[in-house]
Amino acid sequence: MALIELKDVSKLYGFGDATTLALDEVSVTIERGEFVAVMGPSGCGKSSLMNVIGLLDRPSHGNYKLDGRKVAKLRANRAARVRRDTIGFIFQSYNLLPRLSILENVALPLAYKGVSVKKRIRQASTMLERVGIQNREYFMPSQLSGGQLQCAAIARALVNNPKLIIADEPTGNLDSESSRLVMELLSEIHKTGNTVLFVTHNPELTRYATRVLYMHDGNIIHDEQTAIGQVAATARKVLYTLPTTNEEDDLAGVSALMRARPDVPSVGRKVTRPKSRSTKKAASKRKTSVRRKKADV
Amino acid sequence: MKPARGQLKTGFDSVRGAKWRNFWTMLGIIIGVSSVITVVGIGQGIKNQISGQINYLGKDLITIRPSSLRTGGDQSLDTYNVLSGLSITGSLQDKDVQAVSKAPGVRASAPLSAISTTVKSEKGQYKKGLVIGTSASLPNLLNQPLEFGTFLDPDDPGARAAVLGKAAAEAMFESDVPLGFTFSINGQDFIVRGIFDQFKNTPLSDEANFNTAIFIPYDVSQELTKNSGAIYEILAKPATSSPVDTTIASIKTQLNQTHGNQDNFTVLRQDENIAARSEVLDLLTRLITGVAAISLLVGGIGIMNVMLVSVTERMHEIGIRKAIGATNRQILSQFVIESALLSFVGGIIGVALAFIVNGLLRFFTNLRPDISWQIVLIASGVSLAVGIIFGSVPALKAARKDPIEALRTII
Ligand SMILES: Nc1ncnc2c1ncn2[C@@H]1O[C@H](COP(=O)(O)OP(=O)(O)OP(=O)(O)O)[C@@H](O)[C@H]1O
Ligand SMILES: [Mg+2]
Repeated sequence: MALIELKDVSKLYGFGDATTLALDEVSVTIERGEFVAVMGPSGCGKSSLMNVIGLLDRPSHGNYKLDGRKVAKLRANRAARVRRDTIGFIFQSYNLLPRLSILENVALPLAYKGVSVKKRIRQASTMLERVGIQNREYFMPSQLSGGQLQCAAIARALVNNPKLIIADEPTGNLDSESSRLVMELLSEIHKTGNTVLFVTHNPELTRYATRVLYMHDGNIIHDEQTAIGQVAATARKVLYTLPTTNEEDDLAGVSALMRARPDVPSVGRKVTRPKSRSTKKAASKRKTSVRRKKADV
Repeated sequence: MKPARGQLKTGFDSVRGAKWRNFWTMLGIIIGVSSVITVVGIGQGIKNQISGQINYLGKDLITIRPSSLRTGGDQSLDTYNVLSGLSITGSLQDKDVQAVSKAPGVRASAPLSAISTTVKSEKGQYKKGLVIGTSASLPNLLNQPLEFGTFLDPDDPGARAAVLGKAAAEAMFESDVPLGFTFSINGQDFIVRGIFDQFKNTPLSDEANFNTAIFIPYDVSQELTKNSGAIYEILAKPATSSPVDTTIASIKTQLNQTHGNQDNFTVLRQDENIAARSEVLDLLTRLITGVAAISLLVGGIGIMNVMLVSVTERMHEIGIRKAIGATNRQILSQFVIESALLSFVGGIIGVALAFIVNGLLRFFTNLRPDISWQIVLIASGVSLAVGIIFGSVPALKAARKDPIEALRTII
């Protein structure tokens, strides 16, 4: 039994003339243990798909089975319980609660599950250790870097030991170094048997995936199995041939460049293809200060 | 319950955040609770003082007043002329005074007749106090000692002599002990024979007026007003051998004869007298408490407003909480607990404020407010309830929000 089964799922926004078809009868099946990258131009419906799969949103039409259970029309409270117990979310903008400490943030899903205070502090602490920021436990979110925040967010997503991790552009706000850290973490989660779904604009990151879905205008136009460690074939094509069509791709290219040539300033340089993996090590030694920011709605 | 504890902590965390805004939110509740407690406390305090009076005046003091005084359920305020006492147009006459004094079992009696006159002393006109015509038995009836001199002479009812209340003496004369000094009432000279000790006055009681009053012989007061002075009260005490009730009965019989069985007078025991006063007081207390309670309601609306704003401001936070698995009920209880906490803390501050006000009143006035633990409990309970009731509207708004919509909300 597949973990996720979408059948003719559509998502419409708005009414009348202002209707947007964000998902157009999407059908896809995702098995347990897959590490799926979702790619596609801005506005093609990636986030909409993630929200539907993550039970944050309901599909307008179609069927959705999660873990063998029909969930397309689940009532609010039940959906909340499924989210709590089976799904872990990672957002582009971290979405930690600003008035809670890192530890409290990570422990929050456990609180909603009814775990005792002592136990949840212990579990949250263990989880923070696992993502490598245990020394930041008692910091407030405003005192952490973007990469550290995303690590905390991952810890929070993992703390309930969910079957499915959904990450909508988890590296969208991060530099290449932090991106790599985050992807390594997701990779580890995947290795322990979890199913991971992530959205990215960076073809480089398909290296971590076992499968890549390409979307366009609310449809999945290409579905590709890929080997871990290699940039997916289609993504590579995008990387090599496509001119930088939009800001997103542009930014992705710049980050690839920085990784390739750490010794030269990146500003103003043209996009070139990234080199092999070994150059990444060089990049990791160097403290990158360039940050990319992308407005996300 | 474990989850509830988590919710409580969440509530605490949020309240901990914006201290000043929370204070303004609570202000309505603070004022409401403290005024309810203060008003009820003052009422209870006065009641205590009045019942303290029973012991001091003696349980056997009998009061005769004109008109009948109902103590049933359908009273209206105007029945209770006891408050002013003096505004009653007297249906008690000279002959009634005689009748009471001659009633079997009566040991001593004294009329109280307030007359309107012009009083002039060495310090000029004295307007602050009453001139009361009474008889020599008054100090004995009221258990009221004199500080200086002697009271009116029973053997000389026509003497132009006066006894002053302590405050009156201070206001009329430079001298500390103006015994033997003269002043004039309606142009006639009077000699000061004595000065009362401070009357142990209680608020709202007739004795409150006695410190500023001038006491002259009853016969003289009648003379001055050409027999038009109204008797507002006759006081009497039974002989030791005669029980109070028997004496009251005999007084009634006597008076019925003089009044032609019209029953337009009232004979009260001291405790009845006080019960009547307490009823007025209860009514007033209830009235003011009602008004104060409205401010609790207003406080509740204030909390609702702030919580509505808070929910709107924190929509994104609500979205995050829902995304990581908070159910609608958990969000609901978070916000209800938050507003309940706000108003409860407001209630506690209100109680504290009431105690401060109580202290100030005791220091600066002769009120002795009595704050009972019951009213403290009720007031803080009501404030908690107000928080829960008014907090549930914004909390419902938060709980029902669609998770993805909430998440997309940017403040
Ligand atoms: N709440 C909404 N109301 C109306 N239209 C919406 C709403 N959310 C998304 N859309 C529309 O649905 C389409 C798909 O949006 P979605 O956010 O899924 O795109 P995306 O692939 O995640 O884009 P990006 O890469 O920029 O994040 C877009 O055309 C968008 O304008
Ligand atoms: Mg998106």
